[in-house]
Order: sequence, then structure tokens, then C-alpha cells
Amino acid sequence: MSSSELLQFLISGLQSGAIYALVGLGFTLVYASTGIINFAQGEFFMLGGVLAVAGVRIGLPLPLAIVAAVVISAGVGVAMERIALRPRRDSGALVLIIITIGVSMVLKSVARHAFGPNEMALPAFTPGPPVLLLGAAIDRQVLWIWGLTLVAVIGLTLLYTRTRLGRAMRATSLSHDAARLMGIDTAGVVMISFGLAAALGALGGAAVAPLTQTAFDAGARAGLKGFAAAILGGLGNPIAAVLGGLVLGVLESLSVAFISSTYKDAISLVLLLAVLFLRPQGLLGKSGREKV
Amino acid sequence: MSRRLVGTIAPVLAVMVVLALPLVTTDRYLFKVLTFVGLNLIVVAGLALLFGYAGQISLGHAAFFGIGAYTVGYLTADGAVPWLIATLAATVLAALVGFTLALPMLRLKGHYLGMATLGFSEIMTVLFVEARGITGGNDGLRGIPYPVLGPFKIATPGGVYLLVWITAIIVLVLAGNLVRTRPGRALRALHGAELGAQACGIDTGRLRVQVFALSAGLAGLAGALYASSVGYVSPTTFSLEFSVLLVAMIVLGGTGSIAGPVAACVGLTLLPYVDALIPGLPREAVSFLQDWEADIAGIVMILVLLFAPGGVAGLIRSMTRAGDSR
Repeated sequence: MSSSELLQFLISGLQSGAIYALVGLGFTLVYASTGIINFAQGEFFMLGGVLAVAGVRIGLPLPLAIVAAVVISAGVGVAMERIALRPRRDSGALVLIIITIGVSMVLKSVARHAFGPNEMALPAFTPGPPVLLLGAAIDRQVLWIWGLTLVAVIGLTLLYTRTRLGRAMRATSLSHDAARLMGIDTAGVVMISFGLAAALGALGGAAVAPLTQTAFDAGARAGLKGFAAAILGGLGNPIAAVLGGLVLGVLESLSVAFISSTYKDAISLVLLLAVLFLRPQGLLGKSGREKV
Repeated sequence: MSRRLVGTIAPVLAVMVVLALPLVTTDRYLFKVLTFVGLNLIVVAGLALLFGYAGQISLGHAAFFGIGAYTVGYLTADGAVPWLIATLAATVLAALVGFTLALPMLRLKGHYLGMATLGFSEIMTVLFVEARGITGGNDGLRGIPYPVLGPFKIATPGGVYLLVWITAIIVLVLAGNLVRTRPGRALRALHGAELGAQACGIDTGRLRVQVFALSAGLAGLAGALYASSVGYVSPTTFSLEFSVLLVAMIVLGGTGSIAGPVAACVGLTLLPYVDALIPGLPREAVSFLQDWEADIAGIVMILVLLFAPGGVAGLIRSMTRAGDSR
């Protein structure tokens, strides 16, 4: 295999990796503020894609359609927390998991009714020939995906380290009760986490839709991959989720290059199981925490 | 009438109705629909133990159902292996896969268990499609022969219905006995407080593996019966939606109960086929129900957990308690 071919595989790995990172960030945000794994996280990825397509179809300009899709998805995320999860916040993990599964089922099904069962394509953000780099071609949409992921990560980092809200979010993730005693509106923090997580997932879904198309059932697998990214890096840590996503994407792409494309999806899932079984705290996580 | 008496008479009556049904009707569609109910009941019996009693979630039982179905489809094609042996092999294989998966999953709880079983299920979905030599890929396997028991070929819808329901009744009776005896109490203790159960001398790790393997085996058995009842298998049947629907049956039925999930299973399975029971129903109503089945199941699941976390079983319990105190 020539070096430019290898580079091409690397680029495609970093492309899907960035998407996994965006979805994984959503898992991490919600987990950090609530300790919940949101099984509906993948559906926000789906919503981002199909809502953007729907926006374009009713005549909105593409940028507006994307922003609208992200905002609406964030709204759905907030609504989900307020309506379905908050009343049962003190229940055990089992109850919360099943509620998020129920929400995911409903979102997916409603999307099928609203947008039909077919694959939908979103136009490229900036059409044009691919950019050439050392003999490898990079689709312009891929540059958008990388750019948006980078902006999201920098934005989140600034939010976490530089703002009052970020401090409140970090405090809430350490201890709900202590944070509330310090006067932090933990319920608000939880709500914002769900909204942000949904927005990030939707952004990923909209950004990748021009490349891979999208449909009502795109959420489950994207959710699993995103979760794999978050767990691979170490759940609860945004930087780790991004790293996990990129590593996962590259591994997947290299397995296509060197083994076979048939079992591409299975490989990342086997990796997910292996990490869960062997190192549930993730690559960057500290061991010995009783969170599993 | 005391509650205990009702508890004994109701199942016996139900069994008599089930067994007598082929004497009063020969409606093929009705038998087909009821066969699906019976198959789901077999899976639900195992899940009620795993999830409702031991508190262990699984989003992967459709995959075990698929393992059972493909095993029978592969083994009995061209009559290579007798039906009974193939069905037993399918059950054992599904239980073995469940056992193998349960061992490393011992470390996991709650959310992580859910994700691990979901990941397993998706891996199996990829395998069902890609391992073409065994599974037939996207086309699946066709022409799977009907069950043959010794000299009897069970080739009518009514016969298949009886076979599936007799199996389901046996499984349910065994599950009902299990929860009333020592292992059932151990499962409930595990759900209540794993540390506490350990302190009482229960080997919780072993118990968790056993109940997972048992429920996987029952799902495999149901899958095996499914394959020889309908004659073909295709990968779309064993999707995540099916796993979630099964979980919805347990949630709606209520944890810590067998009768509740049984009722919920009958209700949710019949929902898209109500026209088999009520012949005069307008076509639009039926197709509406089929189209919105997933939404209805999802919304019901959320509503039950928000407003009646005990499910059907919990409602019955509180009703009889209110009746007793009068």
C-alpha cells in the first residue's frame, strides 16, 4: 500500500472519528452532570441530519436549515429531560435507562412518520472539488466536519474552564448535593447538559449527512459508536471523548485497509466490548472508581 | 374468593382455553398470530427472570432469538438433522453464547450492561448479514421444514400453534415454580441489594451468569420454534426493535412478576394484529396500529415508568390490597 493510500484511509478514519467524537461528547456531558447514559443520544444525531434536510426541502437556505436543526434538536433534548427524566431523577439506573430507550424509540418512530423511510441527502456545505494533500484527496465536507468538531471542542473547553456555568457544571459532576448547597442551580445545569449534548449530536448528524446520507434509523449505530468513543477515552472527560472518537475512527478505517470492509462495524463494537470488559474506565480514566 | 384461589384457577382456565381453541376454530390467521404470542411468551419468561427478578437489563435478546432461528434453519435444511435435535442444539447454543457473554459482563451493571448487550446484539446483526455461508446474508434462509416429532409432521397452523403454546406453558410453569423457590428468592435478593445477597451466602456472580444463560437459552428456543413455524429467517427480524419491544413487555407487565409480563406480552404482541381477534375491525384502524406500534410501545414504556412503575402487576397488587383492607 502506498503512503498516499494510507493517508487516504487515515483521513477517512479521522472524518468518521470526528463524528464519533461529537456524539461521544454528548454522552460525556450528560454522564458528567447526571450519571446517566442517554440511550437516545444517537437519535439526536439522526434528528440533526433529517431536520436539516427537511429545512432545505421547505426552502430554507442551507446554513439556516442547519442552525434550525441543531436548535430544534437541543430543544427536544431539553424537553426530554424536563418531561421524561426529571420526575424520576431519584430512581435507579434501570428506570432511567429504560426511559431513555423509550424516548429513543419514540423519536426514531416519529421521524419515520414525519420524514419517510427513505435515505435523504443534504447538499454539501461548500460544493467544490476535493482538496489535494500529498496525493490524498480530502472532500471539502470533511474539512467542515473537522472544523466544526474543533470549534465544538474549543467552545466546550472554554465553557468548562472560563465561565461560571462551566464551573457550575463541573461542580455538579463532582457532587450534586454539594453543588446545590453552594447555591448552584443543579437542575438547570442538568437541563443545559441535555440541550448541549443534543446540539452536539445534531451538529454531527448534519455535518456528515452530505457525505453519507441520513435516514430515520441512522441513530442507533451512531449512538453506539459515539458511546464507544466516550468509553474508549474515559467517560465524563470531554477531551478523552474526542480522543476516543478519533482513535476509534482511525482503527476502523485501518481495519478496512488491512483486514476487510465487511466487518468494519463489528470491529468497533468488539473494541467497545473489549474496553468495557477489560478497562471500563477508558484509556485516560483513573482506575479503581466504583462507577461501573 | 381468596386471591390464592384466583391465582390457581385463572392459569388453569387459561390453559384449557388455549388447548381447546383448535377444536372451535380453524382460522389460519388467528393461529399464526397466536403462535407469535406464544413465541414471545417463551422469551418473556426468561426476560422476566433476568430483568424483572434479578434486575439485569438486556438489549440483546433478539440476537439470541436469532441464534436459535439460524441454528435450526441451518441444521434442518435438506432434513440433515432431525427437528428435535436441531431445536435442542439451538437452545443449548444460545445458552452457551449467553453464558460466554455473561462471564465478562459480571463486572458491569446498569447502563454499562445495557450498552454491552446492545453492542453484542449489533455485532450479531452484522454477523447475520455478513456470514453468508451460514445465514444466507440479506436474503436469509428459506424452505425450513416444519417440526417433525417422531412419526408426526406438525405442518398445520393449528398444530404449530399447539406445539408453541404447550412449550410456552411448560416454560411459564417452570419459571413460576422457580421464582417461588430458593433460586427465585436469591434472584430477588440480588435485585434488592447485591452486597446484602452476598452477605447471605448467595454466590451472586454465579447466579447472574446462570440466569443470563437461562434467559438466552429460552430466547434461542423461541427462535428455533419460530424458524420451523414460519419456514424462513431473515436478519431484519432480529433487530434492536425486537429487543426493545421485549423489554417494553417486562416494563409494562411489571418487575418481580411472571403474570404481569405475560399479560403485557399478550397485549403488545396482539396490538398490531387485533384484526385477528376482532374480525370486523376497519382496515385503517389496523394499519394505523401497525404503523404506530413502536411509538405506542415507547410512549407506554415512558408513561408506565413515570406514573405506574409497578406496571400491570403493580396495579393489580395495589387493587387487591385496597380490596383486602375494606
